[in-house]
Amino acid sequence: MPEFFHRKIERSAIGFVLAIIAAASVGGIVEIAPLFTIDETVEEAPDMRVYTPLELAGRDIYVREGCYACHSQMIRTLRDEVERYGPYSLAVESKYDRPMLWGSKRTGPDLARVGGKYSDAWHVAHLINPRDVVPESNMPAYAFLARTALRTDDLSDHLRAQRRLGVPYSDEMIANAVADAYGQAAPDSDFAAGVSERYGEATEVSAFDGVASRLTEMDALVAYLQVLGRLTSAAYENTAVSQEAPNPDN
Amino acid sequence: MDFDHDTLVAFSKSWGLFYLMGFFICVIIYAFWPSNRKRFTRAKTSILSGEDKPWR
Amino acid sequence: MVAKLTTSERQSAAVILLLVALAGIAMAAAGRNEAMGVHGLIVILFAGALLYPVLSAFYAPEPTEDRQASYYDEPIKVGIALAMGWAIFGMFMGVWVAAQLAWPNLHFDGAWSTFGRLRPTHTTGVIFGFGGNALIATSFHVVQRTSRARLAGQVSPWFVLFGYNLFCVLAVTGYILGVTQSKEYAEPEWYADLWLVVVWVTYFLLYIATIARRKEPHIYVANWYFMAFILVVAILHIVNNLALPISWGSAKSYTIWPGVQDAMVQWWYGHNAVAFFLTAGFLGMLYYYLPIRAGRPIFSYRLSILSFWGITFFYMWAGSHHLHYTALPHWVQTLGMTFSVMLLVPSWASAGNALLTLNGAWHQVRDDATLRFMMAAAVFYGISTFEGSFLAIRPVNALSHYTDWTVGHVHAGALGWVALISFGSIYTLVPALWKRERMYSPALIEWHFWLAIAGTLVYIFAMWNSGILQGLMWRTYTEEGTLAYSFLDSLVAMYPYYIARTIGGAMFLLGTAIGCCNIWMTIRLVPATVPEEADLPVKDAVVAGE
Repeated sequence: MPEFFHRKIERSAIGFVLAIIAAASVGGIVEIAPLFTIDETVEEAPDMRVYTPLELAGRDIYVREGCYACHSQMIRTLRDEVERYGPYSLAVESKYDRPMLWGSKRTGPDLARVGGKYSDAWHVAHLINPRDVVPESNMPAYAFLARTALRTDDLSDHLRAQRRLGVPYSDEMIANAVADAYGQAAPDSDFAAGVSERYGEATEVSAFDGVASRLTEMDALVAYLQVLGRLTSAAYENTAVSQEAPNPDN
Repeated sequence: MDFDHDTLVAFSKSWGLFYLMGFFICVIIYAFWPSNRKRFTRAKTSILSGEDKPWR
Repeated sequence: MVAKLTTSERQSAAVILLLVALAGIAMAAAGRNEAMGVHGLIVILFAGALLYPVLSAFYAPEPTEDRQASYYDEPIKVGIALAMGWAIFGMFMGVWVAAQLAWPNLHFDGAWSTFGRLRPTHTTGVIFGFGGNALIATSFHVVQRTSRARLAGQVSPWFVLFGYNLFCVLAVTGYILGVTQSKEYAEPEWYADLWLVVVWVTYFLLYIATIARRKEPHIYVANWYFMAFILVVAILHIVNNLALPISWGSAKSYTIWPGVQDAMVQWWYGHNAVAFFLTAGFLGMLYYYLPIRAGRPIFSYRLSILSFWGITFFYMWAGSHHLHYTALPHWVQTLGMTFSVMLLVPSWASAGNALLTLNGAWHQVRDDATLRFMMAAAVFYGISTFEGSFLAIRPVNALSHYTDWTVGHVHAGALGWVALISFGSIYTLVPALWKRERMYSPALIEWHFWLAIAGTLVYIFAMWNSGILQGLMWRTYTEEGTLAYSFLDSLVAMYPYYIARTIGGAMFLLGTAIGCCNIWMTIRLVPATVPEEADLPVKDAVVAGE
């Protein structure tokens, strides 16, 4: 019987193809399928908010520049990592992340909780030339971000695509995407209030690159870096190491 | 989803293993089936024949 | 190229190229001056450059011979040339980005030349450009010789080869323009991914159709590996790259997988790209070119079958070892670790099978650098698979993950295994394809071999040192129970090793350049083995079957 069966496989290339699929598909199915029901087991994070349009634009710049090649955003459940970077990362914290940017290499430090650790001015100076701030650094200089105006005309498209994939952006958020991007980087403007209204009072509104009149890619990237680890405080509750969440006001 | 998470995980943890064992029993039977021996010997020597033309 | 096609085949080639050019025009129109518009222009130029030879030879006389009586070697020759070209490009980019880590100002303040944008041009250039072209070329060669049948298409092999290279060009130019999904080893954006699906399905159908032409009931084992490579890469590519573009005129898309699911899918893809792109296909090369070069059959055919199914089955479970101690559920990590350790069995079975094949032919290994390339590849395959299983063990991974140790491990596999087996196969293949007696210079092959070995060793020893040092510095505590080193301390300690790895990489690149010269000289200067007319097929060349 097996002889007959295998002769058939040998004779027919198609049968052989099916055998390869049968062997190769099972591992992926077994490991991936249960993750679709993971919401049932993942910690609740009722305070979790979505990225503002400016932060999302900053995240897209982080993606475009390939920052993941040197910076992870995943603090593992190891003592030294928790003491160095903060509470270990939870699955819920990246639930709006497309793609996830957990990374695989730390040529530079982990950034999962970098939000609030440094001032906006530090980030801007560091991005313009890392060696002005950290002489030993081997990070590339991103001075061009401060010179490049942020593209905003397609921000609504970005939010709409995210919503179609399941991120809870409201119609109002999509309609006001451009205004909110301007408002978040111009605290004294009329648009600033809308940001707090739609994304919560805790959302940082600041002239990130130091110039409120102009919206640059630097504004967006710094806004994103400053929100890393601060979309929810779930990681600071019920974990082994209790810590204070970074305070946005200091 | 119709299945809850625990059911899926339990299924994943058990059936993958049974599948693995069943699959490899078949592979081993195939590889060591006596009448396949001739075919394998032929296959491994045929590439060395040095002929450089299609068969038809 | 075109002279061997009939008029109707020339027509279909022209139609395909016109359709590609039209797609390019549509992209250029929809993308305007955005990145996609630039890519549209590249597509138009690519199609135009191929359309020119097709149209200029359109009315040339049709081929008169019976093409079924000979193998289709022209696409293989072009594939080898493209593979070597990509090797130079990809390895040069690798040396450049390695140097940037030691001397960060080497990006000259450009946006396009930063480490983050250039690093994927290196990985794509060597994995997909060099590795992919070498795989396509050798798979076309192996499937024809082992099936003793001509490729089952006249235009489709060219479509696969050039279509695949168009994908590589779109990928690499995209990163420089800032078009990337930031999914490691799957960076190209949605339209390039869609194009690759078309190309890859054609590749699969062509391969299956060619195998179906064989007379022998049994399919030689090298083809199993190539088929698993083609098939599983298709599955991986499609699942991992499911994405929603923000608009049809934009290069930007968002993956459908969020957060933790994306992590699992990405590393299921990432690790199996290693398995089926960088292992299965190259094992196919090993199982054909090693016996051919040594003039001895493979040590154990049964063992090759057992290890084939082991690799196909086990590898798919192993991806989650990239996510130890992360937010991925613990049981998935454990499963990944277990299968990664089990993988050592089929991996060492393959490496051992290759080395035992050479048992009794060691004098050939000593005298023939081409065979030595393949022997060294099998040794490095054994080393890097052992290291891979070891690094997948959770407590080891706690130290090694996020450090240069992973980078060293990858390069032990990529330089020591993938590149060496490719060079060994190419040096076997070039004289056979171009019908030359031998390679132009055995001495240059020796130079290439020793530069490649020395470069690889310098590289991986530097990365072992830096990775382990870095991992230990991160977890060292003072007597007071505080962390002993800042992150910056660990970075400063890396600089000597970053310089050493740049030197190692440069040596490897130099060896590759020597290899290119040698191949070029072989084609240009070495006399042909048989007069050209004898190469024409003989009408009554009926070969006895079984």
